[in-house]
Amino acid sequence: MKLRLLLSASLFAFTAALAPRAALAEVSPLDLVQPIADYKIYVSENAEKLVADTKAFTDAVKAGDVDKAKALFGSTRMSYEAIEPIAELFSDLDGSIDSRADDHENSEKDPEFTGFHRIEYGLFAENSAKDLAPFADQLMADVTELNKRIKDLTLPPEKVVGGAATLMEEVAATKISGEEDRYSHTDLWDFKGNFDGSRKIFDLVRPLIEKDESAFVTKVSSNFDAVETTLAKYKTADGYELYDKLTDDDRKVLAAAVNTLAEDLSTLRGKLGLN
Amino acid sequence: MSQSAGSASPRPASQRLMKLAIVGAAALVVAGSVAFYIASKGVKSPSSDAIMVTIKEGACEPNAITVPAGRSTFTIVNKSDRALEWEILDGVMVLEERENIAPGFSQTLQAKLKPGKYEITCGLLNNPRGTLHVTPSAASDAEAARPALLAYLGPLAELQVFLATQTNALVKATLALDDAIKSGDVDKAKAAYQDARQPYQQIAAMADQFADLHNAIDPVADYLEKREQDPGFTGFHRIEQGLYAGNSTEGLTLASAKLLADVTALKERMRGLRIQPEQIAKGAGRLIASLADTKIATGIDHYAQTDLADFDANIAGVARMMTLLKPVAVSAAPQVFADIEARLGDVDVALKTLRGQDGFPAYDKINAEARKALTAKMQLLAQALGKFNAAIGLE
Repeated sequence: MKLRLLLSASLFAFTAALAPRAALAEVSPLDLVQPIADYKIYVSENAEKLVADTKAFTDAVKAGDVDKAKALFGSTRMSYEAIEPIAELFSDLDGSIDSRADDHENSEKDPEFTGFHRIEYGLFAENSAKDLAPFADQLMADVTELNKRIKDLTLPPEKVVGGAATLMEEVAATKISGEEDRYSHTDLWDFKGNFDGSRKIFDLVRPLIEKDESAFVTKVSSNFDAVETTLAKYKTADGYELYDKLTDDDRKVLAAAVNTLAEDLSTLRGKLGLN
Repeated sequence: MSQSAGSASPRPASQRLMKLAIVGAAALVVAGSVAFYIASKGVKSPSSDAIMVTIKEGACEPNAITVPAGRSTFTIVNKSDRALEWEILDGVMVLEERENIAPGFSQTLQAKLKPGKYEITCGLLNNPRGTLHVTPSAASDAEAARPALLAYLGPLAELQVFLATQTNALVKATLALDDAIKSGDVDKAKAAYQDARQPYQQIAAMADQFADLHNAIDPVADYLEKREQDPGFTGFHRIEQGLYAGNSTEGLTLASAKLLADVTALKERMRGLRIQPEQIAKGAGRLIASLADTKIATGIDHYAQTDLADFDANIAGVARMMTLLKPVAVSAAPQVFADIEARLGDVDVALKTLRGQDGFPAYDKINAEARKALTAKMQLLAQALGKFNAAIGLE
């Protein structure tokens, strides 16, 4: 009995060694069709919402209603942040919609500094909607064009699955530090948008790996839960507290969970045979 | 069978054999583990042959890079004084990127690239870009000639989105049709009928593979034993007969409720459909052949005479399906695909020519000669579609 066991163990070791890669390729490309189709629908719905929200936001900017525009800024950006892995595939639009002053030679004064953060700068740093109308018009035109291009885009599968990690890396790099929305301090809204987008991708592919990767799935889920619980503490009636309200302890909790998520989710492409 | 330690009468010969076998098996385990270790280390270390790109003073160094198709690793060194992102661009589209590379730091990026000429970004948005030339390799040529299943994943997902969008529209319009019939509003019912017909015809190439639903939703009286009196005469054309030949909603509530149940079932089944890549051109070819063989000659909408709108929706659906395959087809079967596009264009022009100011004319106004001309164009399209799967390596 022992002998037979040992022999079969050694045989197994050999077979496993001969085909170590094949053993991992459990997920057929056809299994991914439905999750990616569902994700496209999610992206399209968010792009539609972005267009509608941006309309209300830019209307307020053009009407010179600084208070209303300020109040709409955080929520308008959320749908963009949720679909960033796809939105940022269009380099020209991503530059004109979401670039920061640092991306331009003359920072805030650079004529090519446009989009959300240029308007944010006017509204929050200068407390004025003066001279913002051209930026508002261009932002509206850009998100409309983005929505149209997304409709015609066949999503690259590896960008969809890779997007779960990309979003968490984005949070780790720019949201935890509070540098993205530096004039408005509405980073937690962006954070929530990135978070929702990342969790959506994970939830869509989760059934494909649940059986073979249950420890991984449990770990990622619990880290998502930790972030969600901490973020929820800062929820207000119409959105989120300003970034400076975030306590050091919570910042640490978020940073740890987000970094682990970014690292873990970066293995998702490989697990699904998309590397 | 186990050899207990206190065994009174040892059997030396068999024990020796056993020892040998154990040693042998153990050696196998070790050998197996070593083989496993070697195999798992077979993955190329990413940094061994990485291409260094240094960014300083608003430019990439080197500024022109050439790599063979396939997987490449880039190490981006930021020697500028600002955090930056590095991107590989195909036109305005980002193929790969690495964000937030801090000043003085470097990051690596792995990219699987197809042959072509691309641009690389070098720091600030308005800095001049560098070039990345990806040259064909034996592996990329083979992959281009016979795309792997993975290459169809994007198109198949997009096809599912198309089917979901159309079946949603179908169910929504059929609900409106059912409401209008229940409330006895003929004009509203006719409008909703046409609204429902369009999405159904757009997905006909995929919907007709569910024989039971297809026979319940879209049977034409000509093919039923007792024609309009046949109990199997259900679905769209039964309602069409009531609305257009009878100009009434009377007696249609049962047929309408059944149609609603059937299109709802179709939507569910479409969602669960696991479409194989070869089914796309095959389904499209089958649908177009059925138009060329009989439908154009005999017509299908006997009471509403809206056949041309149906054909137009069929073509729109087939065009959508084939467009999804374009990224795969342009490298693997460029000639055959160009032929399909040209034939689709011909049919489209022919239909547009028939279309007047107020839409398509009633089909009984289209004489036999005009039908023959349309049939001929449809035949050429069916033939072109029939060559697709073999050309792209799906047969």
